[in-house]
Amino acid sequence: MVNAARPSRADYYKVLADTLPANALVVTSLGNASYLWAAMHHAPENFYIEDAMGLALPLALGLAIAQPERPVIVVEGDGAVLMHLGALVTVGAVAPDNLTVLLIQNGVHAASGGQALTNAALDLAELARSTGIARATNVATPQAFASAIGSAPAGRGAQVLVLSTEPDVEVVRPPIALDPVLTKHRFMAAIGAPRYVPTMFGGGRLVSE
Amino acid sequence: MAKPAAQPPGAHRPSAILDTLKRLGFGAAIAVPDGWLGEILVRIEQEPTIRLVRATHEEEALAVACGTRLGGLRTAMFVQNAGVLSMGAGMVSLAQRYQFPLLMLVSYRGTLEDPVFYHAPKGRVTEPVFKGFGLAYARTDRNRPIGVQVEEAATFAEEASCPFALLLSREDVQW
Repeated sequence: MVNAARPSRADYYKVLADTLPANALVVTSLGNASYLWAAMHHAPENFYIEDAMGLALPLALGLAIAQPERPVIVVEGDGAVLMHLGALVTVGAVAPDNLTVLLIQNGVHAASGGQALTNAALDLAELARSTGIARATNVATPQAFASAIGSAPAGRGAQVLVLSTEPDVEVVRPPIALDPVLTKHRFMAAIGAPRYVPTMFGGGRLVSE
Repeated sequence: MAKPAAQPPGAHRPSAILDTLKRLGFGAAIAVPDGWLGEILVRIEQEPTIRLVRATHEEEALAVACGTRLGGLRTAMFVQNAGVLSMGAGMVSLAQRYQFPLLMLVSYRGTLEDPVFYHAPKGRVTEPVFKGFGLAYARTDRNRPIGVQVEEAATFAEEASCPFALLLSREDVQW
C-alpha cells in the first residue's frame, strides 16, 4: 500500500545489495529499476531490461525455472505489473521456491515521467495472495524489507514483497552501457549457461562447458 | 551427428514434433491454449525432460520463454497465430532486441483448412504482420516430414539468434 512518508528506491536497493546471496540472479525492470541498480550494484549476474514494460516478471519466472538452484530476484514496478497481471497468476501457479518478486509501489508510471496509474491504491500483496502466492507482504520501511527478505522460509513458492516507495522520476544515468546483447551474453557467461554448438547439417545442441 | 530416421509416409505428425523436440534436447515449452494445441500440450506435460509452462497471454509466454532460454534451457513456444499478433511489443523490444533464439510453433488458424470461420481475419493478416515485425517464419510443407522442418526451424533460431515461427497446419499439430 502507498503510505505518506515513503523510502526511496535507493533505500531499498541498499538493503538488497547488503543482503543479496552470493549466487543470486537479479532481473530489473525498465527505467531507474535498472539504471539505479546498475549504479549501485553492477554485476554480471544482473539482467537489465530496458523497455519491454511488464515483462521483467515473466522473464524472471522463466529464469527461476531454468536455474532452480539459484535465488532469482526481480524488481518490477506497480505500473509494469498492472500491464501483465496475468504473469502474477502464472507465478502463483508455477510456485517457484527460488523466486523473490520486489514490487516497487510508487503509485505512478515513474519511467514515463510520473504519469498517474489506473489505480494507485491497489493492495498488491493481497492481489498476489489471491493468485496463490502465500508469502506476499506489504513493506513500508527498509528495516521491514531487510527483515522480510532475510527470513523467507524455503519451499513455499515465490515470495512477493510490495515496497512502498517515493516516486523517482529523475532518470539516473547508468554507469555502464546497457547494450542488450552484451547484457545477455555477460549474464549467460556468468551463470555458465550452455552454449549452442552448431553442426553443418542441423542437429545442433546446447552443450555445457 | 546421426541424421534422424526418415518418417514413413502417413506418420503421425504431432508425435513427430514431440519426438523432435526431445531429440534436440528442448527443456522447456511455454504455451497458451488453442484448440489444435490442446492434446500435444497434455503429451508434453507428461514428458519428464520438458517443462511445460501454461501462460495466461502470449506476450507473457514470450517473456517466460526468453527467461528459460536465458537460464540455459532450449525453449519452444506453442501458441496460436492470433497470439503472435498480440505479442508485438515484446517481440521487438525483448525477444528480438536481446536476440533470444526461440522456436515458435504456431497453429495457423484462419486458413482454408480451418472450419472455424471467425479465425479468417487473423489468418489473412498473419504473414503480413509477421513480416512487419521482422519475424523470421515459414509455413510447413505437408509433403515433407514435419520433424525435419521443426529441426530446421530450431536450427535457424539458434544460428541466427532470433525467434523463428513455424506456421503449423491442423494435420501437423492436432493430436
